[in-house]
Amino acid sequence: MLQQSTAVQATEGKVLVVDDDGEILSLVAKFLRANGFVVSTARNGAEMKAQMQSSQVDLVVLDIMLPGTNGLDLCRALRAESTVPVVMLTAKGDEIDRIVGLEVGADDYLPKPFNPRELLARIKAVLRRSRSVEGSAPQGSGRSIEFEGWQLDTLKRELVNPGGVVVDLSGGEYDLLLTFLEAPQRVLSRDYLLDSTKNRTLDVFDRSIDVQVSRLRRKIEAQGELIKTIRGAGYLFAAAVRRK
Amino acid sequence: MKRATALLRAALAFRFDTLVARTTIVLILGIATVQIVGVQTYRASLSADLSDATEQRLADRLLTIKRTLAGLPEGLREDAAHDLSSGAIEAHWSKDERAVEADATNRLWTDLQTRLIELAPELGEGGLIVGEQDGASADPHVALISMRLSDGTWLNVSLLSWTPRIPGAPQTVMVAWMIAAVALATAVLLVRWISRPLARFAEAANGFYTTGKVAAVPETGPYEVAVLARAFNDLQDRLARSIDDRTQALAAVSHDLKTPITRLRLRAEEIDSEPLARSIAHDLDEMERMIDQTLSYLRGDRSDEAIRPVDLVAILETVTDDQTDQGAVVSFTGPRAAVVPGRRLGLKRAFANLVGNAVKYGGTARVSVSERGQEAVVVIDDDGQGIAAADRDRALLPFVRLESSRNNKTGGFGLGLTIARAVIDGHGGTLELGEGPTGGLRVTVSLPRQGR
Repeated sequence: MLQQSTAVQATEGKVLVVDDDGEILSLVAKFLRANGFVVSTARNGAEMKAQMQSSQVDLVVLDIMLPGTNGLDLCRALRAESTVPVVMLTAKGDEIDRIVGLEVGADDYLPKPFNPRELLARIKAVLRRSRSVEGSAPQGSGRSIEFEGWQLDTLKRELVNPGGVVVDLSGGEYDLLLTFLEAPQRVLSRDYLLDSTKNRTLDVFDRSIDVQVSRLRRKIEAQGELIKTIRGAGYLFAAAVRRK
Repeated sequence: MKRATALLRAALAFRFDTLVARTTIVLILGIATVQIVGVQTYRASLSADLSDATEQRLADRLLTIKRTLAGLPEGLREDAAHDLSSGAIEAHWSKDERAVEADATNRLWTDLQTRLIELAPELGEGGLIVGEQDGASADPHVALISMRLSDGTWLNVSLLSWTPRIPGAPQTVMVAWMIAAVALATAVLLVRWISRPLARFAEAANGFYTTGKVAAVPETGPYEVAVLARAFNDLQDRLARSIDDRTQALAAVSHDLKTPITRLRLRAEEIDSEPLARSIAHDLDEMERMIDQTLSYLRGDRSDEAIRPVDLVAILETVTDDQTDQGAVVSFTGPRAAVVPGRRLGLKRAFANLVGNAVKYGGTARVSVSERGQEAVVVIDDDGQGIAAADRDRALLPFVRLESSRNNKTGGFGLGLTIARAVIDGHGGTLELGEGPTGGLRVTVSLPRQGR
């Protein structure tokens, strides 16, 4: 069951981790390296700037509680001069709502204490999204994705149906839906889908992708079929998708 | 019909132990006593006055008749006596007395005899007999007074209906009762005026208990009440400050624990033994849950989340699926959607607590949602031992853990139900504990389908 680290590639990308807690910094760096990332670290805003100038960074993991500069200000400053994706670490889960409202430009948020595997999944998802945006330019890069009148807010991780009703998604369902929305009208294999949703936590045992898909369908297919089953191949998201 | 029952209910709901009721009762008793005693006294003094006057008049008349007859020749006496009779007095002249001496027990006649001699001593000269008419057919209400004249003959005067009549005084009594009514109304208003500030005390105390917010009582009103209000406000402030201090200390500890837990999670990733890593992760989950619950309780679950239309079914599906993934036996039934105005994360937390409790203490959870009128009703049943009716209110209080036998197995501070209820309250809904069909706990949550 625990086989995710067998296929560690040479490099998943270069990540800069910014946190004032030295221990957490080195532990996160170690964990990400073990999962195939090249990692550099910074303890404050000044070190972060220095790192950003000296090398190309694919993604920044930023702790909001940094000394000296407020993490939020730092994120705004960063966004002003670069398009590098940012995953923010915050203190409280409930604070995310407030921070998202401030529009500081982070691509994802994770409350402390975070689960390392969750962090890994988020980093991968954000990187995948940013690469797909670079690759297939027509889509915008905003935080809202639309399909058939539905809206998915990728920062709040919130889905709203055509009637304006908030429809709750589990973590796995959200990841699955996001994977579909990133590749609409394409047949996605079960393995591909599983890879994008699995291992959120160590404690929960993984459901087969078919169960996950049927759960997602139950929540979003009241008005009609959106996800098509392609026999022997996998699934296909049939609706048109638009980024805002 | 409805109105009648409402009235009846209002009458039954009337409390006799309130300040207003007690004052009214005491006042009514007091005024009634004063009235009764007053009327009695009035009647007694009035009757005394009346009989004095009547007796005086009687004595004068008797004296006049006696003197007149004494000065006339015998042949003219009977005619004169007849002429002098009038109204209740009928005089006759005869050779011998007609009245029979009343026996001493008949106070009415003996008293009258004494009084007449007192008022006009001349009447007694020669002899005065007050008594009943001589003869069997005597009317007890007719007195016969026989007076001996100086020549030995008798003057007999019969006196009809000798009972002094006391006039009633309806007007006086009515005025007295009106005064009493005004006094009563004034007293009720006065007591209400005094006791209204007291109701605010109860309100403030209840508010402080349920919301934890200090609501100062206005320090006005009668001096005693104002002093009480000042002391009460002071007590509230000190209590709130003490609670705040502790809350902040607890919040700081809980918050600071997050960093070591984050480190532990990262370190656990380095453990090669999968069972060990799994059990450590499980422990960390539990610690994190406890900290989350504590912090969310301390915040009073007043999140920044806005109220929007949310689908309860989706939330309950997420919650029950999550339990299923962790190996629990959980069922869910409901319509395709049930929309209520709410906070998605808050409601998810509340229902996760409730379903989690059901699984933890009852082994299973059967969750259903239905729309009843203006409410969406969620029912969560488990197969545990339930909570005794007497303990149900207590179970909703913070830091109360009812189960004594299962302490070790279940983590938590006893905040799950408290938080759930706070969230439901915040949505204008209700949370009730009861007994399910299998004897387990049944939690019924009702949420309004339209915003307040």
